[in-house]
Amino acid sequence: MIDPRGVLQEFGTSVGDDVEVRVWDSTAELRYIVLPERPVGTENLTEEDLAAMVTRNAMVGVSKL
Amino acid sequence: MNGIHDMGGMQGMGPVPHETDEPVFHAEWEGRVFAINAALRAMCMWNLDTWRYQIESLAPVDYLRLTYYERWLRINEELVAKHGLLAGAAKAAPALTAAAAAQRLGRGVPSSDDPAVKPVFAVGEHVRARNINPIGHTRLPRYARGKVGVIARDHGVYAFPDTNAHLEGEHRQHVYSVRFAVRELWGDEATAKDSVYIDMWDDYLERA
Repeated sequence: MIDPRGVLQEFGTSVGDDVEVRVWDSTAELRYIVLPERPVGTENLTEEDLAAMVTRNAMVGVSKL
Repeated sequence: MNGIHDMGGMQGMGPVPHETDEPVFHAEWEGRVFAINAALRAMCMWNLDTWRYQIESLAPVDYLRLTYYERWLRINEELVAKHGLLAGAAKAAPALTAAAAAQRLGRGVPSSDDPAVKPVFAVGEHVRARNINPIGHTRLPRYARGKVGVIARDHGVYAFPDTNAHLEGEHRQHVYSVRFAVRELWGDEATAKDSVYIDMWDDYLERA
Protein backbone atom coordinates (compact mmCIF):
# COMPACT_ATOMS: atom_id res chain seq x y z
CA MET A 1 0.00 0.00 0.00
CA ILE A 2 2.69 2.46 0.99
CA ASP A 3 5.21 1.48 -1.72
CA PRO A 4 3.48 0.33 -4.92
CA ARG A 5 6.48 1.22 -7.09
CA GLY A 6 8.71 -0.94 -4.88
CA VAL A 7 6.33 -3.91 -5.12
CA LEU A 8 6.18 -3.60 -8.91
CA GLN A 9 10.00 -3.54 -8.94
CA GLU A 10 9.96 -6.93 -7.12
CA PHE A 11 8.16 -8.26 -10.20
CA GLY A 12 10.75 -6.68 -12.45
CA THR A 13 8.52 -3.79 -13.51
CA SER A 14 10.09 -0.36 -13.37
CA VAL A 15 7.61 2.52 -13.38
CA GLY A 16 9.03 5.85 -14.51
CA ASP A 17 8.53 9.14 -12.66
CA ASP A 18 6.45 10.37 -15.60
CA VAL A 19 3.82 7.70 -14.87
CA GLU A 20 1.06 8.31 -12.33
CA VAL A 21 0.42 5.32 -10.05
CA ARG A 22 -3.10 4.78 -8.72
CA VAL A 23 -3.54 2.16 -6.01
CA TRP A 24 -7.02 0.70 -5.53
CA ASP A 25 -7.73 -0.56 -2.02
CA SER A 26 -10.68 -2.90 -2.45
CA THR A 27 -12.31 -2.29 0.94
CA ALA A 28 -15.92 -2.82 -0.21
CA GLU A 29 -17.57 -5.45 -2.42
CA LEU A 30 -16.28 -3.89 -5.63
CA ARG A 31 -13.65 -5.87 -7.50
CA TYR A 32 -11.41 -4.54 -10.22
CA ILE A 33 -9.99 -6.13 -13.36
CA VAL A 34 -6.78 -5.21 -15.11
CA LEU A 35 -6.78 -4.32 -18.79
CA PRO A 36 -3.13 -4.63 -19.87
CA GLU A 37 -1.72 -1.75 -21.88
CA ARG A 38 -1.61 -2.66 -25.57
CA PRO A 39 1.97 -3.45 -26.67
CA VAL A 40 3.36 -1.33 -29.50
CA GLY A 41 2.85 -2.82 -32.97
CA THR A 42 -0.05 -5.11 -32.13
CA GLU A 43 -2.80 -3.05 -33.72
CA ASN A 44 -3.38 -5.60 -36.49
CA LEU A 45 -3.32 -8.73 -34.33
CA THR A 46 -6.44 -10.82 -33.89
CA GLU A 47 -8.07 -11.50 -30.54
CA GLU A 48 -6.51 -14.99 -30.63
CA ASP A 49 -3.02 -13.60 -31.23
CA LEU A 50 -3.46 -11.13 -28.37
CA ALA A 51 -4.75 -13.87 -26.05
CA ALA A 52 -1.65 -15.94 -26.82
CA MET A 53 0.59 -13.01 -25.82
CA VAL A 54 -1.01 -12.14 -22.52
CA THR A 55 0.49 -13.44 -19.28
CA ARG A 56 -0.74 -14.11 -15.77
CA ASN A 57 1.33 -11.24 -14.38
CA ALA A 58 0.00 -8.81 -16.98
CA MET A 59 -3.55 -9.75 -16.00
CA VAL A 60 -2.91 -9.07 -12.31
CA GLY A 61 -1.24 -5.78 -13.14
CA VAL A 62 2.35 -6.41 -12.08
CA SER A 63 3.98 -6.72 -15.53
CA LYS A 64 3.75 -4.97 -18.85
CA LEU A 65 3.57 -6.93 -22.07
CA MET B 1 -11.16 -3.67 15.32
CA ASN B 2 -7.63 -2.33 15.19
CA GLY B 3 -6.32 -5.82 14.44
CA ILE B 4 -3.39 -7.46 12.69
CA HIS B 5 -5.50 -7.87 9.52
CA ASP B 6 -5.46 -4.10 8.91
CA MET B 7 -2.02 -4.10 7.33
CA GLY B 8 -2.27 -1.18 4.91
CA GLY B 9 0.91 0.89 5.22
CA MET B 10 2.79 -1.64 7.33
CA GLN B 11 6.40 -2.27 6.40
CA GLY B 12 8.99 -4.99 6.89
CA MET B 13 6.69 -7.88 5.93
CA GLY B 14 9.16 -9.08 3.28
CA PRO B 15 8.71 -9.42 -0.47
CA VAL B 16 5.45 -10.64 -2.02
CA PRO B 17 6.11 -14.29 -2.95
CA HIS B 18 5.15 -15.30 -6.45
CA GLU B 19 5.42 -18.65 -8.16
CA THR B 20 5.18 -19.73 -11.76
CA ASP B 21 2.15 -21.84 -12.76
CA GLU B 22 0.49 -21.11 -9.43
CA PRO B 23 -2.27 -23.70 -8.83
CA VAL B 24 -5.76 -22.73 -7.61
CA PHE B 25 -5.25 -24.95 -4.56
CA HIS B 26 -1.86 -26.07 -3.27
CA ALA B 27 -3.32 -29.22 -1.70
CA GLU B 28 -6.56 -31.16 -1.98
CA TRP B 29 -7.64 -30.23 1.54
CA GLU B 30 -7.66 -26.55 0.57
CA GLY B 31 -10.35 -27.24 -2.01
CA ARG B 32 -12.35 -29.15 0.59
CA VAL B 33 -12.14 -26.21 3.00
CA PHE B 34 -13.33 -23.91 0.22
CA ALA B 35 -16.33 -26.22 -0.38
CA ILE B 36 -17.11 -26.59 3.35
CA ASN B 37 -17.05 -22.82 3.66
CA ALA B 38 -19.50 -22.42 0.76
CA ALA B 39 -21.84 -25.05 2.19
CA LEU B 40 -21.85 -23.40 5.62
CA ARG B 41 -22.44 -19.95 4.17
CA ALA B 42 -25.39 -21.34 2.21
CA MET B 43 -27.12 -22.06 5.53
CA CYS B 44 -27.43 -18.28 6.03
CA MET B 45 -26.67 -18.38 9.76
CA TRP B 46 -24.04 -15.68 9.33
CA ASN B 47 -23.06 -13.31 6.54
CA LEU B 48 -19.84 -12.36 4.78
CA ASP B 49 -19.16 -9.49 7.21
CA THR B 50 -19.67 -11.78 10.24
CA TRP B 51 -17.25 -14.17 8.61
CA ARG B 52 -14.64 -11.46 8.03
CA TYR B 53 -14.91 -10.29 11.64
CA GLN B 54 -14.26 -13.84 12.81
CA ILE B 55 -11.01 -13.87 10.81
CA GLU B 56 -10.03 -10.48 12.22
CA SER B 57 -10.65 -11.82 15.72
CA LEU B 58 -7.99 -14.52 15.41
CA ALA B 59 -5.14 -14.02 17.86
CA PRO B 60 -2.50 -11.97 15.99
CA VAL B 61 0.12 -14.68 16.31
CA ASP B 62 -2.28 -17.24 14.81
CA TYR B 63 -3.35 -14.86 12.06
CA LEU B 64 0.28 -14.47 10.98
CA ARG B 65 1.24 -18.13 11.39
CA LEU B 66 -1.74 -19.80 9.67
CA THR B 67 -1.92 -20.10 5.89
CA TYR B 68 -4.85 -18.61 3.99
CA TYR B 69 -7.05 -21.74 3.98
CA GLU B 70 -5.93 -22.75 7.48
CA ARG B 71 -7.55 -19.49 8.62
CA TRP B 72 -10.73 -20.40 6.72
CA LEU B 73 -10.83 -23.81 8.40
CA ARG B 74 -10.19 -22.40 11.87
CA ILE B 75 -12.86 -19.72 11.73
CA ASN B 76 -15.45 -22.05 10.23
CA GLU B 77 -14.84 -24.39 13.17
CA GLU B 78 -15.31 -21.43 15.49
CA LEU B 79 -18.48 -20.22 13.76
CA VAL B 80 -19.99 -23.72 13.77
CA ALA B 81 -19.39 -23.96 17.52
CA LYS B 82 -20.53 -20.39 18.23
CA HIS B 83 -23.82 -20.79 16.36
CA GLY B 84 -24.61 -24.12 17.98
CA LEU B 85 -24.55 -26.14 14.77
CA LEU B 86 -22.87 -29.08 16.50
CA ALA B 87 -25.68 -29.06 19.05
CA GLY B 88 -28.26 -29.31 16.28
CA ALA B 89 -29.13 -25.63 16.01
CA ALA B 90 -29.19 -25.67 12.20
CA LYS B 91 -32.18 -24.06 10.62
CA ALA B 92 -34.09 -26.29 8.24
CA ALA B 93 -31.92 -25.06 5.36
CA PRO B 94 -31.57 -27.58 2.55
CA ALA B 95 -28.03 -28.82 2.06
CA LEU B 96 -26.05 -27.13 -0.69
CA THR B 97 -25.96 -29.41 -3.73
CA ALA B 98 -23.16 -29.53 -6.28
CA ALA B 99 -25.60 -28.29 -8.92
CA ALA B 100 -26.60 -25.26 -6.86
CA ALA B 101 -23.02 -24.51 -5.81
CA ALA B 102 -21.87 -23.14 -9.17
CA GLN B 103 -24.68 -20.63 -9.28
CA ARG B 104 -24.14 -19.63 -5.68
CA LEU B 105 -20.38 -19.16 -6.07
CA GLY B 106 -20.86 -17.14 -9.24
CA ARG B 107 -23.14 -14.70 -7.48
CA GLY B 108 -21.74 -11.40 -6.23
CA VAL B 109 -22.78 -9.32 -3.28
CA PRO B 110 -26.01 -7.45 -3.99
CA SER B 111 -25.79 -3.72 -4.60
CA SER B 112 -28.55 -1.43 -5.79
CA ASP B 113 -29.24 2.04 -7.08
CA ASP B 114 -32.24 2.30 -4.74
CA PRO B 115 -33.41 5.93 -5.17
CA ALA B 116 -34.90 5.88 -1.67
CA VAL B 117 -31.38 5.80 -0.22
CA LYS B 118 -29.96 9.27 -0.81
CA PRO B 119 -26.23 9.84 -1.17
CA VAL B 120 -24.79 12.15 1.50
CA PHE B 121 -21.89 13.24 -0.71
CA ALA B 122 -21.44 14.14 -4.37
CA VAL B 123 -18.64 13.41 -6.83
CA GLY B 124 -15.94 16.08 -6.50
CA GLU B 125 -16.72 16.89 -2.88
CA HIS B 126 -13.88 17.00 -0.32
CA VAL B 127 -14.38 14.58 2.56
CA ARG B 128 -12.49 13.51 5.65
CA ALA B 129 -12.41 9.87 6.74
CA ARG B 130 -13.74 9.80 10.30
CA ASN B 131 -11.40 8.90 13.11
CA ILE B 132 -13.30 5.94 14.52
CA ASN B 133 -11.84 2.95 16.33
CA PRO B 134 -14.68 0.45 16.83
CA ILE B 135 -13.91 -2.81 18.61
CA GLY B 136 -16.35 -4.44 16.19
CA HIS B 137 -16.00 -4.95 12.45
CA THR B 138 -15.10 -2.04 10.20
CA ARG B 139 -13.70 -1.70 6.70
CA LEU B 140 -12.31 1.77 7.23
CA PRO B 141 -8.54 1.23 7.11
CA ARG B 142 -6.51 2.76 9.92
CA TYR B 143 -4.12 4.45 7.53
CA ALA B 144 -6.96 6.54 6.08
CA ARG B 145 -8.58 7.77 9.30
CA GLY B 146 -8.54 11.54 9.66
CA LYS B 147 -7.27 11.99 6.10
CA VAL B 148 -8.87 14.23 3.48
CA GLY B 149 -9.79 12.98 0.02
CA VAL B 150 -12.16 13.65 -2.85
CA ILE B 151 -15.22 11.64 -3.89
CA ALA B 152 -14.24 10.14 -7.26
CA ARG B 153 -17.23 7.90 -7.98
CA ASP B 154 -20.52 6.81 -6.45
CA HIS B 155 -20.74 3.01 -6.54
CA GLY B 156 -24.38 2.74 -5.44
CA VAL B 157 -25.98 1.33 -2.32
CA TYR B 158 -24.57 -1.48 -0.16
CA ALA B 159 -25.11 -2.99 3.26
CA PHE B 160 -23.01 -1.32 5.97
CA PRO B 161 -20.47 -3.90 7.21
CA ASP B 162 -20.00 -2.35 10.66
CA THR B 163 -23.58 -3.26 11.64
CA ASN B 164 -24.20 -6.15 9.25
CA ALA B 165 -21.28 -8.13 10.70
CA HIS B 166 -22.96 -8.13 14.10
CA LEU B 167 -26.44 -8.92 12.72
CA GLU B 168 -27.58 -5.41 13.72
CA GLY B 169 -29.16 -4.61 10.37
CA GLU B 170 -27.89 -3.78 6.90
CA HIS B 171 -28.23 0.03 7.18
CA ARG B 172 -27.81 0.24 3.41
CA GLN B 173 -26.04 3.38 2.23
CA HIS B 174 -23.92 4.74 -0.60
CA VAL B 175 -20.37 3.54 -1.19
CA TYR B 176 -17.90 5.82 -2.94
CA SER B 177 -14.47 5.50 -4.43
CA VAL B 178 -12.54 8.20 -2.57
CA ARG B 179 -9.25 9.48 -3.96
CA PHE B 180 -6.46 10.32 -1.51
CA ALA B 181 -3.19 11.88 -2.62
CA VAL B 182 -0.34 9.70 -1.37
CA ARG B 183 1.23 12.75 0.30
CA GLU B 184 -1.90 13.13 2.41
CA LEU B 185 -1.54 9.49 3.51
CA TRP B 186 2.21 9.01 3.76
CA GLY B 187 3.71 12.49 4.06
CA ASP B 188 5.79 14.87 2.02
CA GLU B 189 8.42 12.30 1.02
CA ALA B 190 5.83 10.44 -1.08
CA THR B 191 5.62 11.21 -4.80
CA ALA B 192 3.55 14.22 -5.81
CA LYS B 193 1.30 12.64 -8.43
CA ASP B 194 0.33 9.20 -7.09
CA SER B 195 -2.92 8.44 -5.30
CA VAL B 196 -4.85 5.72 -3.46
CA TYR B 197 -8.53 5.06 -4.14
CA ILE B 198 -10.42 3.57 -1.20
CA ASP B 199 -14.04 2.35 -1.25
CA MET B 200 -15.92 4.01 1.61
CA TRP B 201 -19.45 3.98 2.99
CA ASP B 202 -21.30 7.20 3.87
CA ASP B 203 -20.90 6.58 7.61
CA TYR B 204 -17.09 6.57 7.27
CA LEU B 205 -17.04 10.14 5.96
CA GLU B 206 -17.61 13.73 7.05
CA ARG B 207 -17.39 17.01 5.12
CA ALA B 208 -13.93 18.57 4.89
